[in-house]
Amino acid sequence: MDKNKLKKAKKDKLMLLARRSNIRGTNLMSKERLIDALTRVSAKKAKKKPKAQRVIKQIKKLPQYQFQGRRPIARPPLMAGRSHSLLEKNGQQKVEEAKYYLGPTSQYQSLEEFQFPAGYGDNRIVAMVRDPWWIYSYWEITPEKENEVRNRIAQKGLNPVKSILRVYDVTGVEFDGNNAHTFFDIELKGLAINWYINVKNPNRAWIIDIGILASNDELFVLARSNCVRTPRFGMSDVVDEEWMCQEDDYWKMFGLSGGFGIGKGSLALKEMFKKRLVEQISSAGWSGAVSSLSSPSKKALKKKGFWLVVDCELIVYGQTEHDAKVTVQNKPIRLRKDGTFTLRFALPDGKQDIPVVATSFDGDDTRTITPIVTRRTI
Amino acid sequence: MEKGYIALVLHAHLPFVRHPEHEDFLEEDWLYEAITETYIPLIEVFEGLVRDKVPFRITMSLTPTLLSMLLDPLLQNRYLRHLEKLIELAGKEIERTRWHPEFNSLALMYYHRFNRARQVFCDEYKMNLTSAFKKFYDLGVLEIITCGATHGFLPLMEVERRISVRAQVKVGVDMHRKIFGKTPVGIWLPECGYNPGDDEILKEFGIKYFLTDTHGILFGSPRPKYGVFAPCYCKSGVAAFSRDVESSKSVWSTQEGYPGDYSYREFYRDVGYDLEFDYIKPYILPDGTRINTGIKYYKITGETDHKEPYVVKHALDKAADHAGNFMFNREKQAEHLLGLMGDRRPIIVSPYDAELFGHWWFEGPDWINFLIRKIHYDQKVIKLITPSDYLHIYPRNQVITPSYSSWGWKGYNEVWLEGANDWIYRHLHKTVERMIELAGIHASLEPSGLVRRALNQAARELLLAQSSDWAFIMKTQTHSSYAYRRTKDHIYRFTRLYDEIKSGKIDENFLLDIEGKDNLFPDIDYKMYCR
Repeated sequence: MDKNKLKKAKKDKLMLLARRSNIRGTNLMSKERLIDALTRVSAKKAKKKPKAQRVIKQIKKLPQYQFQGRRPIARPPLMAGRSHSLLEKNGQQKVEEAKYYLGPTSQYQSLEEFQFPAGYGDNRIVAMVRDPWWIYSYWEITPEKENEVRNRIAQKGLNPVKSILRVYDVTGVEFDGNNAHTFFDIELKGLAINWYINVKNPNRAWIIDIGILASNDELFVLARSNCVRTPRFGMSDVVDEEWMCQEDDYWKMFGLSGGFGIGKGSLALKEMFKKRLVEQISSAGWSGAVSSLSSPSKKALKKKGFWLVVDCELIVYGQTEHDAKVTVQNKPIRLRKDGTFTLRFALPDGKQDIPVVATSFDGDDTRTITPIVTRRTI
Repeated sequence: MEKGYIALVLHAHLPFVRHPEHEDFLEEDWLYEAITETYIPLIEVFEGLVRDKVPFRITMSLTPTLLSMLLDPLLQNRYLRHLEKLIELAGKEIERTRWHPEFNSLALMYYHRFNRARQVFCDEYKMNLTSAFKKFYDLGVLEIITCGATHGFLPLMEVERRISVRAQVKVGVDMHRKIFGKTPVGIWLPECGYNPGDDEILKEFGIKYFLTDTHGILFGSPRPKYGVFAPCYCKSGVAAFSRDVESSKSVWSTQEGYPGDYSYREFYRDVGYDLEFDYIKPYILPDGTRINTGIKYYKITGETDHKEPYVVKHALDKAADHAGNFMFNREKQAEHLLGLMGDRRPIIVSPYDAELFGHWWFEGPDWINFLIRKIHYDQKVIKLITPSDYLHIYPRNQVITPSYSSWGWKGYNEVWLEGANDWIYRHLHKTVERMIELAGIHASLEPSGLVRRALNQAARELLLAQSSDWAFIMKTQTHSSYAYRRTKDHIYRFTRLYDEIKSGKIDENFLLDIEGKDNLFPDIDYKMYCR
């Protein structure tokens, strides 16, 4: 694989490639490490076998039923998804990250041999909320289950066409498989085991089926998910009679609560609310708008470009009788048991006179030695 | 008479990190740094206020994992060892910087701070800082609230939600009762993650309120009449208080926030990186990898790599200015809000990570000190209270269903559910199901001592695997391998126990080993996972 090409690729794409190449721990790798690992693997492979054989081997390794090794495709572009917090969460997150920041290092090695299992032998699909517009789903289907369903399709004289996720809007209904308001399908082209689904609508309830679509357009369900509800986004339309006020007053409190400032009417606030959202969505780069507080990742990557730092320290050391009293620049110092001493000073530019005066324990004898040191930096 | 209230809420949390199997363990420094830079300075601020008879009310959540570490003798001794090395280094620094007066005065400051920390830790609180917090709780100046057992992010507990959430809450409440001797009146939902209906579980444990981000109430239904400036009751009767954006921003924001002021101390310049290798070697990692020591000599200075020496007096002046500014803005805010609300005084809720003060924002504890004193002496418009105080003043509040929300970036679950960490949930969910299965098998019969120990340890491992910290750290660069390992360790330990309990062949040596490592929650009862 071409290193430069890899460098241009998005990290998600690299992770997908790495997983296909059976590189472990991709979740934890930086982009640079991913590129490194990928180039190494491809160099190895190129040496080993002609391409055709490699493909055959890979197919053998991945049994038909397993949706494996593929990153979700339907995921949002990194920040351009909807960013809607009313606050600058990113700043908060930076600060929270600092709590765990001890310097760019970590050295934990585990002694235990344990790999997360690829599956638990379940037939299930689970839905989780990510935000008002997106849900996440993961699933596991056993080969037995898939074969059973494929046989059912065959017994009816049909052909399987494709594996899909069917996402039902089941808001306010007791779902029986047929009474959803609407649904849409996502074709599972790769060997996915999870997916980010853009359901587009806040404040709706959703259920997902994973199944095989047959040639007559009938869906043969492999598993059905739990029901999740995307959160509402914006002010509720429901008004409580007991706690009612003028429409304009609701908006005033809404605006103040949202930090939109004071003294604005409802129309202005509605506009601001929209505008603020648009700003947040469009300024995908605002995470990069680093303030005077540098970010942990910035430090971890070290400074860009070439640089040099130089400083000087001075070591003054000596020896006298172990019971003598010694001062350096008129400050008493402590001797080691054998009468030796070592002092270390950060040395600024300029001249330093360093009188070292030793006086014998009885005070009768005194010796003075004065090193004079000049530092000049150009 | 005051025109409004302000509730400062400090959320103190660290994940459980304790590695007796290693002599030195880097990630344990999270605790040591937080003790030196945040917890002890805050205790000192509270101490001073009590001494000077300045009345105040502050809300603080202390998470069960943090409390467990503060109570642990091994970590207490290791902290002392850590602190003594710092004192030694600061002592050497006083001498080394003799010809640099601006650094020399800072070395002296650190030397005194560390010695003072030692005095507070050892002499005043006998190595147990929970007793310090209890003291201020009992004095009525702190309102301590609880949190999920291991800070598990509740909204993503999609499988077996009720039992999963209930266990996190139960362990938190039990621990709070045991340490502080009373039922917590409030809870900090981990990451403010609120899923409508979870409040029913809070009610079961006698909890009166929880905190959400702004949109928790703002996007709730029916429309909240007073926005976030009054709490709302859920249908369960538990109250939700939401964060005020303005006051939050002034501290949290990296753009406009106080902590970014150029006079404040720069977090990322540390002598651990700056000084000559042989000299600093005893104070960094044994393999020579440089780390932060906590001695930092520079101020933020500006948007430049060239940093100027830090000047304590300038920084303190700024902290006083910023406290005055914060107070003034809240006064204006309260006056304006009272005008609009008419029939009741507003509450402005300002929640922060406690570790922001001192650790990230070095001058943060001083800012709190100035703020509390100014609020008491310099004005009459606003007053510090706690959420439960507000419920006493205004027991009648609107009933709404707050919105699903968190205080993470973008306001929902994305921080803990994205490419770097989404793969953990299938394992976490399975682990909960297995725990419930085990508890079910042993629900009615009384298991033998060994089996019971194994079941209880399995519950501990499950809870530890659920810490939101691992998912959060996985997406950051520096400690992601640690977060990955921790998830793996706890799932592994749980899975092995599960297999052994089911097959009836419990390896007692293994059990003893992990009981010794993951030794928190001594009173845990696996039966909380029974249906």
